[in-house]
Parts: sequence; structure tokens; C-alpha cells
Amino acid sequence: MSDHNDVHLEPTPGERFSKFLKRGDIRETLAWAAFYTAVFVVLGAYFYPKWMPTVMSTDMKAIERLMVVFTFISAPVCGFVMSIFTQTLRHRHKGDTPPPDGPMIRNNRLGVAVFSGVASLLTLTAVIYGLIELNSSAEAATKDAPNALVVEVTGNQWVWSFNYPSLGVESNMLNLPIDRPVIFRITSADVNHSFWPVQLGVKADANHLATTLAQTTPTKLGTIDVKCAELCGLYHAYMETSGEVMTVSDFNNWVTAQGGHSA
Amino acid sequence: MSSDTKFHVHHDAPEVVGRRERLGVRILIVADGSFLFAMIFTYFYLRNLNVNDGWIPKGGHTFSAASGWMSILPLVVAAIVHKFGQRNIKQIGNFSIITLLAYLYGAYYQFHQMSNMPFIVKDTHAFEGSYASTWVLIAGANMFHYILAAFIALGLVIRARRASVDPTLEKWRMRTASSWFTWIAIAGVICAVTTSMI
Amino acid sequence: MTTLSQQVSNRPIPNPKKSLITRLNMGTGLIVGIAFALATYYSMQTTLDDATLNFQRNNQVLLATMFMWSIGFLVGIGAFIGPFRWLIGKDLTAEEQLYLAGDGQGIKRYFKYCTDHKVVGIQYLWGVIAMLAVGGSMAMMIRTQLAQPGAKFITPSIYNSLVGLHGITMIVAMIIVATGPFGNFIMPIMIGAADMAFPRLNALSWWVLFTAIPVLCSAWFLGGIPTGWTAYAPLSVQAGPGMNAFIATIIIFAVSTAVAGANITATVISMRAKGMTWNRVPIFVIGATISVALAVPAFPTFMVAMIQTAMDRTFLTGFFDSNVGGSGWLYAHLFWIMGHPEVYVILLPGVAILMEIVPVFVRKPLFSYTAAVVGFAGIAGLSVLVWAHHMYMSGWLPMLNGPFMVTTEMISIPTGLIFLVILGTLWNGKPWLKVPMLGVYAFLWNMLIGGITGLYLSDVPADNYLHGSMYVTAHFHYTLMGAALTGAVAGLSYWYPKMTGRMLNERAGYISFWFVQIGFQILYLGMFIAGAEGQPRRVSDYAQMYANSNRISTFGAYLIGTGFIVLLWAVIHSWRNGVIAPMNPWGAKTLEWTVPYPVPLVNFDTPPVVTSDPYGYGKAVK
Repeated sequence: MSDHNDVHLEPTPGERFSKFLKRGDIRETLAWAAFYTAVFVVLGAYFYPKWMPTVMSTDMKAIERLMVVFTFISAPVCGFVMSIFTQTLRHRHKGDTPPPDGPMIRNNRLGVAVFSGVASLLTLTAVIYGLIELNSSAEAATKDAPNALVVEVTGNQWVWSFNYPSLGVESNMLNLPIDRPVIFRITSADVNHSFWPVQLGVKADANHLATTLAQTTPTKLGTIDVKCAELCGLYHAYMETSGEVMTVSDFNNWVTAQGGHSA
Repeated sequence: MSSDTKFHVHHDAPEVVGRRERLGVRILIVADGSFLFAMIFTYFYLRNLNVNDGWIPKGGHTFSAASGWMSILPLVVAAIVHKFGQRNIKQIGNFSIITLLAYLYGAYYQFHQMSNMPFIVKDTHAFEGSYASTWVLIAGANMFHYILAAFIALGLVIRARRASVDPTLEKWRMRTASSWFTWIAIAGVICAVTTSMI
Repeated sequence: MTTLSQQVSNRPIPNPKKSLITRLNMGTGLIVGIAFALATYYSMQTTLDDATLNFQRNNQVLLATMFMWSIGFLVGIGAFIGPFRWLIGKDLTAEEQLYLAGDGQGIKRYFKYCTDHKVVGIQYLWGVIAMLAVGGSMAMMIRTQLAQPGAKFITPSIYNSLVGLHGITMIVAMIIVATGPFGNFIMPIMIGAADMAFPRLNALSWWVLFTAIPVLCSAWFLGGIPTGWTAYAPLSVQAGPGMNAFIATIIIFAVSTAVAGANITATVISMRAKGMTWNRVPIFVIGATISVALAVPAFPTFMVAMIQTAMDRTFLTGFFDSNVGGSGWLYAHLFWIMGHPEVYVILLPGVAILMEIVPVFVRKPLFSYTAAVVGFAGIAGLSVLVWAHHMYMSGWLPMLNGPFMVTTEMISIPTGLIFLVILGTLWNGKPWLKVPMLGVYAFLWNMLIGGITGLYLSDVPADNYLHGSMYVTAHFHYTLMGAALTGAVAGLSYWYPKMTGRMLNERAGYISFWFVQIGFQILYLGMFIAGAEGQPRRVSDYAQMYANSNRISTFGAYLIGTGFIVLLWAVIHSWRNGVIAPMNPWGAKTLEWTVPYPVPLVNFDTPPVVTSDPYGYGKAVK
């Protein structure tokens, strides 16, 4: 072969890439990957909003959005894995003797690099998204702190009790006014508990002789289920109560009925 | 060339067996080091957290920093003596006696300290605060080191006196023991530094 | 100068037929162990006088009894003969060592302090099967209770004990499920070694673990444990006498793990066959070694946490009592500094088994050996930096949640490499779907789900909702059971021929696989839904709104139970009646398939010499 031909036969990276895309196995993989990615995107967008309870606070809204976004971020990875999963199963070897030898591919540096790069980018996206959410909820907490309603939550084997120091009310029900920021100051009288008003998307452990903080803003009227999310002994399962997000006037009426002074 | 040793079931040479055993001991030292880390972590965590002012409660008692150093001094002495003994392998028996005595004295001293702890509340037998709790844990671990090291040193003393055990062939056992002795001396110093920061 | 062998042959050799070591076995171990325990119990009971100290005193007595049982058993079975003979300068002779290795003792050696790694491997295998069976039965009872809201199948007290004991039994079983049977039986042969580096320590690691089993079972007779397997303080400090059994089990198990970890690591580092450079070591060996090497520094922190719990319970120290300066957070830290590396201790060997299986059944080389090693090492390295993601909600120091979230999510990068290695090996291959190979596919799906749900949980805002819910339970069952146990079961069917000389019943293998995997998807799909709906974990009862998802889960659990019963039957039946296996039924290229069954005492007649890695399958491509 002459030099001239050699030069001519050396394809450019672009040509190699388009040739690569025309390979039958690559096309099959890409098609399956696209299919499964779409499936995961649809499932993610549909199921978490369906399964998770009513969104009743700013935090719960952020959490639900985050679950959906993370599903979207991981969907391409699922697509890639399930694509090769499906493709190799379709070409499976039948019979009682070992299959014929496959191609002896020991490594593919470009492949490993591309895969690691894409995986790192997706992870980075998730990390950054999570950090932004974390930061914005912290910022909101600082901003809301001055006019927030403070609720002191105490876990006791196996009941929750709530004290509204500014209103002079103590209760076993967690009632909150709508659209007003609330700060929970959580502690425990005995072992570890975890305060979980489910629909508010807030959770914080209750530790003996220590106070943990959590905050949110209720945005929707309705019932709150309060549970304990840390195994705390015999009747852990029954350490639950309920409460309500109320309109401001309803809340004031409730406070007065409890013998407190309204805010 | 390399001696085929019948004393090892797979007939490996003493040097090979020695290298392997030192490796094994060093891995176990990693485990012991992690144990030490957990204790030191506990010490500084509770000290800095000082929950409810309970590290050393008002009117609480402590050991002095010096007594902490006294209780680990025999570990250091023994490790150094053993190092010298290794250079003079014919006399290893005599050196090992000193090592053994140092460990026994250390164990006695540690036991004496632990049976005279000042920070136990008289009527309830409870420990005063978290300093007291952590101190007794570290002292207990030190005690464990002493007992184990005394066992090894006793073995070296006995073996050096038996005709059937040739000290020149036992060189690797000295080195294996040395790994452990050196480590517990280092661990002891770390503990003493820690308990100096009351 | 006389040679060493001359010196040795001049020495009088005691006849082991008459010596003590021939008389000791499991029976003598039990006798001495029980004697030690009873002596301790009754001698300490008599001094129990001060009524105000009853709680502490009772705990002291029980803990001492349990430890003395363990020590007594080891004395009785002869574990300390070696150290004692060393102490008095009368080292064990070659003849005695051969006797200890079980030379020519048939089935009896399985009940002795036997130093042969193949015997230890089989002992571990049956130990693991027994633990999985017990833990699995507990899981069935848990699911039965949760089949419908308001069920009265068991009381909340028994339910809490079941949750805790199921947890710890399974965790212990899963830590040793791959490195116990296969790490001991197969791994030394794979690297061309004649035995483990420290045969007596090998026997010690198994028999120490064995003594923990009755201790753990005794928790039932002491009122159970109310804390779950995490045993969070201060609940564990206040718990009843059953807690002592838990504490003693963990301390004994930590000793066993350290010994086994040192042994396996030293074996792989120092006993590889000639020519087996680090890039020719089978990937299972790499994965198992990284796993046990990670366990060595991880477990002592748990041991310290348990010693502290024990001290709080027995001597009134205040490690976890806030009234005297302690903190429950301290426990959580020490626990999770062990706890998160520990899940990778469980996961890595299972994955490594599957990586060993893929090339054989696809007839292609392992794709990018380097990526596999980097993946394992990266996971192991990062795993020690992520523990506080279990404590986002604990309130210990919320400003560190961000950094721990970053390190945790970083783990998905090396995990991705693990996937890439398996997918790259599968790529363009024609898989031979024997039972071991099915496990690879099950792993891909299960680990995908387990990994992605882990991503949600690692995120602080999302964890605000998901922490402590059934969602977490489903997530870690996907990784530990769906990935690690699937890998171990695949390994069992893969190496069964070498360990027993017979093939595992194939039809039963397929039936079991499908029952288990389908049941698994159903069970944990239900549990994911229940968690997303807001059901906390470890609850003995729940509200009506979770009824459907729980019913689905219980149905799935029964399918899994059925599948494992089929597998257990297959393992027992094939052991005696299975088809005699050829020397290399799968056509694999690793060294363990070059030795006959039964494997000779020193494994290889002539030490093997390795010239390439064991993945030279396939035909060259242009």
C-alpha cells in the first residue's frame, strides 16, 4: 500500500464516531437505553407524587420535587444498565455445553473514561442540586426566624407533647396556623425519639437533655400525622398523634379554648 | 539452601514464616489501633461536648496527668529493653526477664490505680462524670495490653531457658514480639498524652 | 553446624495418638464451656446481696457467665493448646500439626479444632446456613405480624425483639456469608496456597464465632432486646437482661472478625503462588481481601461502643447518660463509624463473586480489571468518610450534613465502575444462563434499585422525609439481600461442585431463584410504597392507609421463604445424591478448578506457577 492510501484510510474522529453509531450492536444498545430512560422518567414523574402524602409545607414540596429530579438524573444510568441487561439476555446461549468464545475485549480506555465522566457529572449534578436545596431551606429558616411560631416538642415514652411558650398552651395535638413559619424545638424526656410530622416533611431526633431544631412553613389546610421515627421501646409503633393546619382564626379560637392567649 | 523446617506443617523456611507472622501481627495492630482511636474519640468528644457540665462535675475528682504517664512508663521501658535484647540475641533470656518484670510492675500499678479511683460516688457507686467513665475505659485497655504483653514476655523467658529452643532460630519470634511491644508502648504514650488533657 | 531438620529429627517426638489433642472435640468444648458458665454464674450469684444494685449486679453476672462460656468452650476444644505449648517452649511438632489439620479423620474433623482451611470453610458454610435460616424465620414472623393492621400474631415486645434479633443475626451471617465459606475454602486454592497463613487462627475465628451463637440465642430466654440491631443508647442502657446477650455477641464476634480478617489479608499478601502478581489475582480474592481488610479497623469501634454500653449497665459509668456528661450521639458515631464500612464489608465479596462468575459464563475476559480494583478500593476508601449520613436528623451538628452528603454521593462513582466492569464483560457476549449466571442479572437490577434509592437517602432534604421509614428498610434490603446475598447464593451454586464433589440440583436451583427474586421484588416494592407513604420502620402495627402495601409485602416474603426452603432442600439433597461433578464443570480458568475432589490436604501436589491472569477467554478481535 502506498503512503497516499494510508493517509486516506485514516478516518477522522468524527468519521469514526459516525461509523461507531452505525454499528448494529451500538444502535440496539442506544435504542434500548433510550427506551428504559424514558420508562424511568415516566415512572419517577408519576409514582413519587402519587405515593407520597399530601404536600402541606414548603419543605415537603421541595422534597417531592427533589425525588422526581433525582429520578430524572439517574434515569440515563438505569437506561444504560437495563439496555445491556436486555440485549445480552436476548442473545443468550442455549444448551448444556459452555457457549462459544466471545470477543476478547480486556479493556476500553475511552469507554471507561466516558462512562466515569458521565457518571461523575450526573453525581455532581445531584450533589449540587441537593446542596442548593439544603442552602435555600437554611436561608428560609434564618429569614423566617423572627416572626416564627415556636413549638417546644417533647418526646416521652410513648407520647408526644407540644408546648407553645408564646401562647401559654400545652397540648397533645400539633395544631398550626397556615402560612406562618414554625420552629420546632425538640427534646426528649428519656430515650431517643424522632419527631416526624409526616405531611410537613420535617424530621428531627429528640435527644435527652439536648434540643434540636427544625423549621418549616405550613402551606395547606389539613390533617397532620405525627409519628416517631426512631425505635424507642415497647410501644414505639403507637407513639403517634395528629394535628391540623388551620386558618389563623380557627387557630386563635383553638388557642383561646385551650386557655392560652392568642398571638 | 533455605532450611526445610519440620516445625512448620508446610515446611516453609523460618524467615518466610517470620515475615508472615509479623504481617499478621501488624494487621492485628491495625485492629487494636482502631480500638484505641475509638477510645480517644470518646475522650475528646465527651470532653468537648461537656453535656450538662458533666465532663468533670462541680467538685469532681481527677487523676493527675503524671499518674497517667507513670502507668504507661513500664510499657516504654520494656519496649526499649526488648530492642536492646534483640541486638544481643544470646542474652535474650536475661533481657526478657527485665521486660517481664516491667510488664508485671505496670500491671500491678495499673491495678492499684483502678482500685483507688477517686471519682466514684460513695453511696451510689456511680462514676462522677464522663471524664471518669472514659478514664476507666482507657485504663482497662492499658491493663489488657499489660496482661497480653506479660504473657508474651513470660514465653520468651521460658523459651530462652529451654535447650530445645534455639535463640538464633527464634530471632523472628523476637521481631514479631517486638512489633507488638513497640505498638503498645506507642499506644500507651497516646493514651497518656490524651489523659494529660483533663 | 547442623541443619534445622537434623536438629528437629534428633528431638524426641511425642506420639500424638496418646496426647491430649486427640481427646478434645466439640463435646469436650461444650462440657468445659457449660462448666465454666455454671461455675461463674453460681459463684457470682451467691454474692448478690445489695438489693439497690440488682440491675447492675444482674448484668455483671450475665455478662461474666457469657464470656466464661466462650472462654471455657475454647479451652475445652483445645484452642489454647498452641499458645500454651509455645509459652512453655514445647512447640507443636509436625506430627501434631498434621493431626490438628484433621489428617485422615474423616467426618470427625468437622467437630474438632481443625486447622484445615477446607474444613473451616464447610464449618462456616453450615454456620451461615443455620444463621440465615433462623434470621429468615424471624423475617417471616415479622411479615406475618405486619400482614394486616391491628394484627395480634405477636406482642409488641416480641415484635421488637424479632426486629432486633433478625437484624443482628442477618448482619452477622451476611458479613461471613461469602468470606467465611468461600474465603476459607476456595480462596487459598485460588491463589495457589497450601493453606491459610495462620491455620490455628483460622480454626479460632470459626470456633469463637460458634460460641457467639448460643449467646445470641440466649437473648430470647432473657426477655429479648427492645432496641433493634442498632442498639441505640440510652435505650440499650436501660434495656432488660436480654441486652447482655446482644453485647456479648458483638464483642465475641468482633474478636472473630479481627482474627479472620488478619488471617485472610495475610494469606493473600504473603501466600500467593509463584507468578501470581497483583494484576493476576482473581477478582474474587481482591474483593474479599479488601472487604476483610476494611472489617479489621471497622469492628473495634463497635466493640468499644458495646463495651461502653456494658460498662454503663454494669459499673454505672456515664458514656451515654446525659445526666452525668454522656451522650447518645457518641454511641451513634461509634456505631456508624463501624456501620457504614460494614455494609460494604458485606457487599464487596458478593459483588466480587459475581465478577468471578461473569467471564466464565460469557466466555469473555473480565472487562477492565483495573476499573474493578479501583472501584473496590474507592468504595472501601470512601466508606470510612460517610458514617454521619445516618445521623442527618440526630441534631448532633447539622452544619456537617452538607460535607457528609457530598462524600456519600461520591460513592456512586466507584459503584458505577463496578457496574461498568460487569456490563463491559457482558457486552456482546452470549451468556450461558446457568443458575450462577442468573444471579448476575438479579444483581444488576437489584443493585440498580438499591443504589438509586441510596442516592435519595443520601440527600439531606429528601432524608428529612425518608429517614427512619420503611423506605430505608427496603433500600438496604435491596443492597444487602438483593445484591450481596444474591452474590453469595450464586457463589454457592458455582463452587458447590468443588466443595461437595457434586452438582447442585439444577431444577431446584432455578425454582428457588425465581421464587426468591420475584418474591423479593414484590416484598420490597410494597415496602418502598409504604415508606414513601410515610410508614416508620420497626413498628409492630400501622394505620389502615398502609394496609395494601403491607399485604403485598407479606405475600412477597412468603414467596422468598418458599424459595429458600427449596434451596435448602437442594443443598442437603445434592450433597448426598447429586450428580457427581467433573473436575471443572464450568470450564473456568482459576486455580481451584485444577484440583480434584476431595481436595488434598495441601491442595496442590506440586505448587502451581501462574503465568497469566485467569480471564484469558475469548478469541482475539481485530
